[in-house]
Amino acid sequence: MLGYYISLALRSLRRTPVLSALMVAAIAVGVGAAMTTLTLNYMMSRNALEHKDDVLYALQLDNWDPHEADDNPSAMPWQVTYKDAISLLRSDIPTHQVAMHRWGGPISLDPSQNSGGEMRPFTAEARVTSRDFFALFDIPFLYGGSWQGDADTSPVQQIVLSESTNNKLFNGENSVGRTVNFSGTPFTVVGVIEHWQPSPKVHDLNNGSFNKSAEIFLPFGLHRSFEIYPWGNTNGWKPEDINSYEDQLGSEYVWIQYWVQLDSDEQRERYREYLTGFIREQKAQGRFPRPLKFGLSKPSEWLQLNEVVDGDDRMLNWLSLAFLLVCLVNAVALLLAKFLRKAAEAGVRRALGASRKAVFSQHLVESGCIGLAGGLIGILLTLAGLALVRQLQMGYLDTVASMDWLMMLSAIGLAILSSLLAGLYPAWRISRTNPSIYLKTQ
Amino acid sequence: MLELRPILSALWRHKISALLIAVQLGLTLAIVGNATVVIQERIERIARPTGVAVTDIVTAQFMPIAKNYDRLEAFRLDLDMIRQLPGVAAATVSRAPLTGGGSGTGLYTAPNQEIGATGGAQFWGDEHLIDALGMKLVAGRAFTPNDITEASFSSGWRPNMAIVTQQLADKLFANGEALGQSIYFSGEDNPIEIVGIVERNLGPWPNSHNAGSTVFFPAVMDTQWFDYVVRAEPGQREAVAKLLEEKLAERDPQRVVAVNLLEDKLDRYYAGDNTMIQVLSGVVSMLTFIVALGIVGLTVFWITQRQKQIGVRRALGASRSAISRYFLLENLMIATTGIVLGTAAAQIFNRFLASEFEQPALPLSTTAICALILFGISLAAALVPALRAANISPAMATRSV
Amino acid sequence: MLKMHNVRKSYRTDTIETHALRDFSLEVNEGEFVSVTGPSGSGKTTFLNIAGLLETPTGGQYLLDGQDVSDLNDRDRSRLRNEKIGFIFQGFNLIPDLDLFDNIDVPLRYRGFNAKERKKRIEKVLEQVGLSARARHLPAQLSGGQQQRVAIARALAGEPRFLLADEPTGNLDSLMARQVMELLEFINEWGTTIVMVTHDPDLARRAHRNIQIVDGQVADLRLQSALGEAVTA
Repeated sequence: MLGYYISLALRSLRRTPVLSALMVAAIAVGVGAAMTTLTLNYMMSRNALEHKDDVLYALQLDNWDPHEADDNPSAMPWQVTYKDAISLLRSDIPTHQVAMHRWGGPISLDPSQNSGGEMRPFTAEARVTSRDFFALFDIPFLYGGSWQGDADTSPVQQIVLSESTNNKLFNGENSVGRTVNFSGTPFTVVGVIEHWQPSPKVHDLNNGSFNKSAEIFLPFGLHRSFEIYPWGNTNGWKPEDINSYEDQLGSEYVWIQYWVQLDSDEQRERYREYLTGFIREQKAQGRFPRPLKFGLSKPSEWLQLNEVVDGDDRMLNWLSLAFLLVCLVNAVALLLAKFLRKAAEAGVRRALGASRKAVFSQHLVESGCIGLAGGLIGILLTLAGLALVRQLQMGYLDTVASMDWLMMLSAIGLAILSSLLAGLYPAWRISRTNPSIYLKTQ
Repeated sequence: MLELRPILSALWRHKISALLIAVQLGLTLAIVGNATVVIQERIERIARPTGVAVTDIVTAQFMPIAKNYDRLEAFRLDLDMIRQLPGVAAATVSRAPLTGGGSGTGLYTAPNQEIGATGGAQFWGDEHLIDALGMKLVAGRAFTPNDITEASFSSGWRPNMAIVTQQLADKLFANGEALGQSIYFSGEDNPIEIVGIVERNLGPWPNSHNAGSTVFFPAVMDTQWFDYVVRAEPGQREAVAKLLEEKLAERDPQRVVAVNLLEDKLDRYYAGDNTMIQVLSGVVSMLTFIVALGIVGLTVFWITQRQKQIGVRRALGASRSAISRYFLLENLMIATTGIVLGTAAAQIFNRFLASEFEQPALPLSTTAICALILFGISLAAALVPALRAANISPAMATRSV
Repeated sequence: MLKMHNVRKSYRTDTIETHALRDFSLEVNEGEFVSVTGPSGSGKTTFLNIAGLLETPTGGQYLLDGQDVSDLNDRDRSRLRNEKIGFIFQGFNLIPDLDLFDNIDVPLRYRGFNAKERKKRIEKVLEQVGLSARARHLPAQLSGGQQQRVAIARALAGEPRFLLADEPTGNLDSLMARQVMELLEFINEWGTTIVMVTHDPDLARRAHRNIQIVDGQVADLRLQSALGEAVTA
């Protein structure tokens, strides 16, 4: 019967092209608006570390001002101090642990290898990190691997390239063992990772959650030899005399992001004890003046805490759902008008043996057809909406303002669901009308 | 001749359809009203005066290729060169404001305090700073060449004087006598005298609640976080930008140079607000359009349904205008119901948005204006079908449908 | 075939209750051709709607083909209507969007026949009413008499045992009316029971039996052949 209903629906829609177009437009616009914001919110709510959500933890230590907690939802600084990071790295409890921050500098091919082509140095976005980074975040290597073991503590001039940087510098060849020039210093390539662009950038949420991820990776032991100041937030609360780089490293400034991998409950329990002990120890030395507090947040919790999906996004979500609601009410009104206009036909069908259910189904199928058409156009509108957002956001949301198959299917689903909902009352109403009044000649 | 009673009873028979239109109008009012206040707020936010010559300023940075690079020497040579360039009105090395990147500090009006700081954004610059940013000095003086120190973050240097914005001055010294007073960093007793007050500077983060509280210190900082702030003569910024790119690379090729227009950076900073404005405006206009179409659709439908009735009325002597008036009055009553529902819904929706997303309150005046506009749109949408209804021939009365 | 016993039907509005049928009893035998007459508002249409299972009686008993249908649910009533009853209306009530073929197809679809069976039946009834050549025409392209023949074809396609006709010739001129009447008589001869509501005394007289409804009740019940003079409408 479904095929029959569909052919009847198409015939009926063709008969009132203007009204049908109005309804399809209403559904399409509503779905387009709703799906644009839903897609943004959905993409922004993704968790690239979902598969390790139970074992990875972002670490926070509350070393803040005794008079006032840090001003963010977690009431703790987002990052840790350099000296605490160095101490924590010595713990052997976590399976993996990473201390890191954002940095950057000019990179070029080593002059000795740059004889042929003329390659201008360019500024590369860097991540200065301890060597477990790749293992902890599950980043596969295309060539080679991470740097040697002592690179976390001594200035080892080794570098890992992203796939795109390797393409740019070495045309995608296996560059392990080759030399690049970073900030005027030769670095040996030890590895090239596969394309890795989590979005939102869960491992580094305080430098633009949707920015591009790093192009090069440098060992954590380089700080002193390069006097590295991070390309990211440095926050402090305490008046400190900073007279040298060593003072900066020994200060209460927080600028290091810290992650640990803890695989079992037992391990987690031991690490909590370890952190408690560590803070007590520091308190004994006059640091950590606030009540003892630390944070271990799973990636999913970390995304929430950092409010990656901000108020504007969520407000737009509500607004567009309200918009869809108006479009639905509109569709209900128009469908009701359309169906009531055909009440006589429904009466004839009833007389010829159609049950109420059959009449109801027939009209619901008609609504569904409108929904399907609305959904398809809605997808186009969503794509246009997302393109507009990409343009308005000047590239910042490029990684999230795009539709995957799931969202396309959802758009059609939403459209059909909406139109079925919209058709429910009109179809019910028409199936309930007494056929006999339409059979008499008026 | 008002014929309300027959209209009401006719509406009552179409109560569901009429209610659907009213609900649509109501929801639309709720959305449009709330979107309007958000749009208004964002437009006002973007339109705020920044205190600097946004449209004339070009910024430039470089990153040295060599590891140990004498930045201060480069600053001196670059600035000497830049100031000679045609089209350049003033130049300094500081950090570009309004871009979302910068630093802040806490200030006190008495020495050795650690609680209750007044927050402010901080900048460093030389004697050309006020001129290069195009700021307006309202009291005191600018920095002189003798005031300027070359320093770095790890050199332990402390300023002994500062210029502040009027807003910060008022926050620090409520009595309005900030000029000549001293301010202090947290926990320190080194006095910093306020030697000048500028009218305004929104600082690095125009959308922060503290934007506009800004302090300037007389120093050239040896830091990788610097910008050459170059104010071009009006209309010259593109030429200056091009020249800067060329000349900076030419003076020392061993570095990567980036040149930007401050206005582009500010646009980028406001991209989120701008997105909200555009998206919400789009939502408002589409919504109004959809609702108007809905009203047209339903009025047309009702009229076709009542063709015979209209014919009978015409045959019994109703004038054309009486027929049009009938449908317009009908629409008016539906719209009124919708607007009443919508005013309430708008307030409820606004409470929700205000509490959840810190959106501005919806004033009654905005609701009233939106309501009036919707009223007009609703009547306009009904007008065409209503006028067409007047053309239905009295002969319809005798035709069987 | 059809047996009504003390059937009542009343309509309620806010203010008054109208009794359309009061203790209405009637029996129609298999193969009969019964005409129903009566003044306007006497309850003819209500009787027809109840007989055709379009409305349920307020009280009393209605047996259709030996089955008590007074308390059936909508689905079963619809199925019975589809399988056993054919309708013919004064206004033809063809669906204007559908061509003749698809109009006749409607009841067969609800019957659940497969495409081949439907096609066979449609072609057969179209031929019976002499409109095979017009299968793909829309109703508006036909004359009133042709439209009514299509409506009859549609009623016959499901091979109902029982045909209900409501003023089938009311909208037709006398020539066409006669043709339609002849068609009905022909159908009746093949065994289909027919109940026809009409105003036209000549037509009423052509039925085997005429019953008159006055004020919601059967006024007289005599064999048409025994009735000497015309029954006035």
